[in-house]
Amino acid sequence: MGRVRSHNAEKVLERLEKKINRQIATSLAACVHCGNCSSCCHYVLANPDDPTYQPSYKADQLRKLFKRHVDWTGRVIPWWVKAKSVYTDEELEELKDVVFGKCTNCRRCSINCPMGVDHATFNRMARGLLVSVGIMPEGVAVVSKDQWEIGNQMGVLKEDYIDTLEWMEEELQEEFGNPEVKIPVDKMDCDIVYSINPREVKYDPRTIADAAKIFHLAGANWTMPSEGWDMTNFGLFSGDDDLGGAVGRRLYEKVEELRGGRLVISECGHGYRSTRCEAPNWGKIDVPFVMESSVITMLNYIKQGRIKVDKIRNEGSYTFHDSCNNARSCGLFEEPRELLNLVVSDIREMYPNRTENYCCTGGGGAMSMSEYTPLRLKSGKIKAEQLEATGANFVVTSCHNCVDGLTDIIRHYKLDMKVTQLVNLVAEALVIPEKVVVPEEEVPVEVEKPEEAAIFAGKKILVVDDEPDIRIFFTSVLEDNGATVIEASDGDQAIEMLRAEKPDLVTLDLNMPGKDGGQVFEAIRKDEELAQTRVCIVTGRPELRRLIYDRPVAPPEGYLDKPVDEETLIFNCRKILELG
Amino acid sequence: MSVSKQINQCQVRLEIGDITDFEVEVFVFYARKDLKLGTGFGNAITMRGGPSIQKELDEFGTAEVANVFITEAGNMKAKHIIHAVGPKFQEPDIEEKLASTVTNALKKATEKGFKQIAFPAMGAGFYGIPLPDCARIMFENIGNYLQNSSDFKEIVVRVLDNREYQPFLTEFENLN
Repeated sequence: MGRVRSHNAEKVLERLEKKINRQIATSLAACVHCGNCSSCCHYVLANPDDPTYQPSYKADQLRKLFKRHVDWTGRVIPWWVKAKSVYTDEELEELKDVVFGKCTNCRRCSINCPMGVDHATFNRMARGLLVSVGIMPEGVAVVSKDQWEIGNQMGVLKEDYIDTLEWMEEELQEEFGNPEVKIPVDKMDCDIVYSINPREVKYDPRTIADAAKIFHLAGANWTMPSEGWDMTNFGLFSGDDDLGGAVGRRLYEKVEELRGGRLVISECGHGYRSTRCEAPNWGKIDVPFVMESSVITMLNYIKQGRIKVDKIRNEGSYTFHDSCNNARSCGLFEEPRELLNLVVSDIREMYPNRTENYCCTGGGGAMSMSEYTPLRLKSGKIKAEQLEATGANFVVTSCHNCVDGLTDIIRHYKLDMKVTQLVNLVAEALVIPEKVVVPEEEVPVEVEKPEEAAIFAGKKILVVDDEPDIRIFFTSVLEDNGATVIEASDGDQAIEMLRAEKPDLVTLDLNMPGKDGGQVFEAIRKDEELAQTRVCIVTGRPELRRLIYDRPVAPPEGYLDKPVDEETLIFNCRKILELG
Repeated sequence: MSVSKQINQCQVRLEIGDITDFEVEVFVFYARKDLKLGTGFGNAITMRGGPSIQKELDEFGTAEVANVFITEAGNMKAKHIIHAVGPKFQEPDIEEKLASTVTNALKKATEKGFKQIAFPAMGAGFYGIPLPDCARIMFENIGNYLQNSSDFKEIVVRVLDNREYQPFLTEFENLN
């Protein structure tokens, strides 16, 4: 009598047979276990004595099932071809830890395979099989469900998205002194429909303002969609082709509804790959318009003389990190360098680079899977060495996942470096015509600036952090701008002070000894007296945001990633306190 | 985009829209066994409705598939929410369980005297129930329920996008 197989194992095998196509079958049969892939993988480099990190081993987890259930060799000589089946949910859980926890699908092994075997494709496929029976890391479930049901990966509601665009528009109008400067939403018949990553709305809205400034100065006829605006696609990471197709379809249909000329995709590696290259296949969609990265758009604007830039405005030394999805999967590596060269003076190339660059460790959805963070950070050793060897002050990347992944690596390996994106550098380097034409002999009219020192006048802010340096920095910046600041160094003290002082805003560190920021946050929201307190989560470990996402309470009003600079702190606190 | 038809004094409507941003007497949320609102629609319910909804749910503890619970809808446009624990991810007997979940939600609404109810595409998307199956089971059970009941004035099936709408439209045409 045969061994009994669990329901989930049965379903995984059923789906496996449906998913195998000629390309996958050829790749599964082609591996000769030469070991060339091992030296290419950042996980193997960090764990040289553990064979379970080797790309071929990881691919074998799917290959053995293929041999046993699909390929004829496994039926005839199973012991020879190492054919094996899967029977229990525990085995599926083990497979989950391999395919989600030990690979970022960066494809460095794939391009170095002499047999042309794309291990990352197997890995993604295995993820998809597990997701179809509900076996996945909690973070993957969290993000996937948000993207399925709310329409974007970070659960940003439509009203919050629109509100952020309006807020950025007001900032620009103030900066230009011109109420005609717009971030147009759902404008019909535009040349450009601009799609973004929800991370920009939630954590970094200045990238939206920077892009809008560039479009404005270039005189672009552009718009942003009110719905279907998220160009990221968690289907690429979870292996769920249905999600991948659904997300792509929403975006494409919106561009068609607006009769947009082309879709411009903001700087995001997996978003670019998914939207431009993969989603048309997942969703079986013929996309009738041009899709391009905003890197190309910005580069063309400079080349065509539509915007002028002055590289002197970006001080410091810069290196460029190629996103795996942009460079290895889409061949986008020369254009970002060309653009970078136009907006900064001191560039230091990272080695290896372009298609041979190492992953930031944040790819493949890794930033959402906090259970594997120690493995991920350990695997980032080679990335840290690469970064450090450049001696640059800034690492530039065209990917939001890379921004988070690199920020984590920089912090973990204590590197003295900051992460930025091309859109920020181009915006910073912009030569604004109005400023240039003022004749030198004329005294420029003083633009009435807001009273900086009084921005937070009358506001009480509680700074909660276990690191004294951070508390001192936050306190001095906020006090210099008119706030009354009180401090707490741990969770219990924070709650005590909240009750006693009733601050208007709390900046709350997540990672603290004792009661962590997540527990404090939940306590605030569940306390009727404190529930309405505005909270800004501050963390140097983006994956810890999950501590907040998972809580069954209303979300915080804002987030800040460490390290925080003065400008960012003021900017975000103003937004949260609705101070214009 | 919207279509509707009259069945036994009840207007049944299919449309595209966000069910968590909809003015209706009660809408159905496809709930988890632990009755935590979680992410996706749950996230929208928390953000738009406030913390009181989860607090109310916590009183019920945990649940089994096809169980349904009712809460207020906090600050949302809707007045109430039926939290219906549906089957997920290819689990055994998924069609029967989904049918019971839909019927139990309708029964609960009737029991509470509601005249208007809105459903999402139950279990489609994240939980992986294929759209054609989801649409067929939902409309079959709504149709069967209405044959024996004249309690509802309006039943709305509110799907997320055009991709969901098309298979539902096919099944809607068979509804009688």
